[in-house]
Amino acid sequence: MAIESAFFADQILFIVLPYLSLISFLFVSIRRYFRQTFTYSSLSSQFLENQQHFWAVVPFHYGIILLFVGHLAAFLVPRTVLAWNSVPLRLYILEAAAFVFGVLTFVGLVSIVVRRFSDPKVKLVTSPADWVILAMFGVQIFTGLYTAVFHGWGSSWFAASVTPYLWSLFTLNPDITPIVAMPWMVKLHIIGAYIMFAFFPFTRLVHVLVVPNPYLWRKPQVVRWYGIKRLLRSR
Amino acid sequence: MRRASRSAPNILRRVVYVAAVVLATAHARAQEAADYFRQNCLSCHTIGGGRLSGPDLKNVSSRKDRAWLVKFMLDPKGMIETGDPYAAELLRDARGTVMPLVAGMSRQRAESLLDLIDAESLLDKSQFVGITISDRPFTQRDIDLGKEIFVGTTSLTNAGPSCISCHTVPGLGGFGGGTLAPDLTTVFERYEGRKTLATWLSAPATPTMQSVYKSKPLDPDEVLAMVAYFQHTLQRNPEDASTARLNFVLIGLGGAVLLLGLFDVFWNKRFRAVRRPLIHASKLEKTHE
Repeated sequence: MAIESAFFADQILFIVLPYLSLISFLFVSIRRYFRQTFTYSSLSSQFLENQQHFWAVVPFHYGIILLFVGHLAAFLVPRTVLAWNSVPLRLYILEAAAFVFGVLTFVGLVSIVVRRFSDPKVKLVTSPADWVILAMFGVQIFTGLYTAVFHGWGSSWFAASVTPYLWSLFTLNPDITPIVAMPWMVKLHIIGAYIMFAFFPFTRLVHVLVVPNPYLWRKPQVVRWYGIKRLLRSR
Repeated sequence: MRRASRSAPNILRRVVYVAAVVLATAHARAQEAADYFRQNCLSCHTIGGGRLSGPDLKNVSSRKDRAWLVKFMLDPKGMIETGDPYAAELLRDARGTVMPLVAGMSRQRAESLLDLIDAESLLDKSQFVGITISDRPFTQRDIDLGKEIFVGTTSLTNAGPSCISCHTVPGLGGFGGGTLAPDLTTVFERYEGRKTLATWLSAPATPTMQSVYKSKPLDPDEVLAMVAYFQHTLQRNPEDASTARLNFVLIGLGGAVLLLGLFDVFWNKRFRAVRRPLIHASKLEKTHE
């Protein structure tokens, strides 16, 4: 009986939940894009405070982007990741690098939370959805770092076990056997990811979908402070 | 008359069709039972290949009646707890190892497995006689090959992932092996030696390993090398993973601090300082005038 109910819970969490979150993600993201186009923004608070902001936004974004790319690589090109990891030294370098970016993300997240609590102006523009999404990031980073330290080597076993499970979802032939016996910290990380995907289109995270990529190669534009006296003189 | 002559082949056609469907279903069911046996039973039982962790199942139907066998397969632990004398005898023979409740076991499946075992018992050599690996003594080359397969420098013929992804053994150096799954230092002893471990490795029975290696099994030479390596690791003491773990964490923290320092140096004027110095200079200009 206990085995059956655990099996049932796994089916709900690892088959039903991902499909529900995917539907929420796609449907609400597209709907919001067309109906509330101008809410597609990161709602930057850089104008309100830009000193602490650096230590929040820079480590967080570099950390999370590289971690996301790593997860995506293990999903899209698992054999390449396993081939890279076939030499222990390369495996250790990859794992240590991933852990470094995990720590950076954690440092960034802590700075974000501290800044949003401590600066009155920034606190005022922080919505409940922001706090929820920050808490979700907290859970993901904690479970991720824990997994990296206590359930290694994730870069290899993700490619070998989690990737087939994820592909089974995408090919509409779900098979959860590769992950049912995973430690609960790992399961929590997977469930947390699904919940974030479901919640994603309701939050400022939508800015991820409208990243102004040309910023990467366009020429810098510096807006200069024009002194009032100089302005008067020029007239 | 014409109608009758037309319907006769029709009936015949239907009979043939139904018979074909029945045969195909029976064949599919037998194939399904065979796959299930290979994935779930073969790691502990052979049919005519001798005892592993569990008894050899050849002619098992002659030992106990079918109703008893089905009941035992559905709940081995429960059957032992009822104090059944034959279940107690099985437990003694297995030196206290209780047969686990197998995932997906049902009354119907137990029946089809027993049909399969009965059919296989009639054959001279069942397909489930177990893996036959050479009995020759292990050489240093076997041990070395086993280690190479474990860490991944020699890849498996059928492209299965290397053991280090999830497992560790002593003497790997660096940050050691994976910690997702059990330490394999004493696996040779836990699986009661060469034959049982070899059979287990040829069809791993845990859900995670089964799903990975079902389509990428180890070939007999690889199994032999792994068994040799695990017999070798048995002579060492399991390593405490905490030192490797601490080094990993310290390197990670060090790397993060280094990167934060680099951010500070290289982007000293980014985000934080594009406008601020300009405003400052402008104010200075103002006070000078």
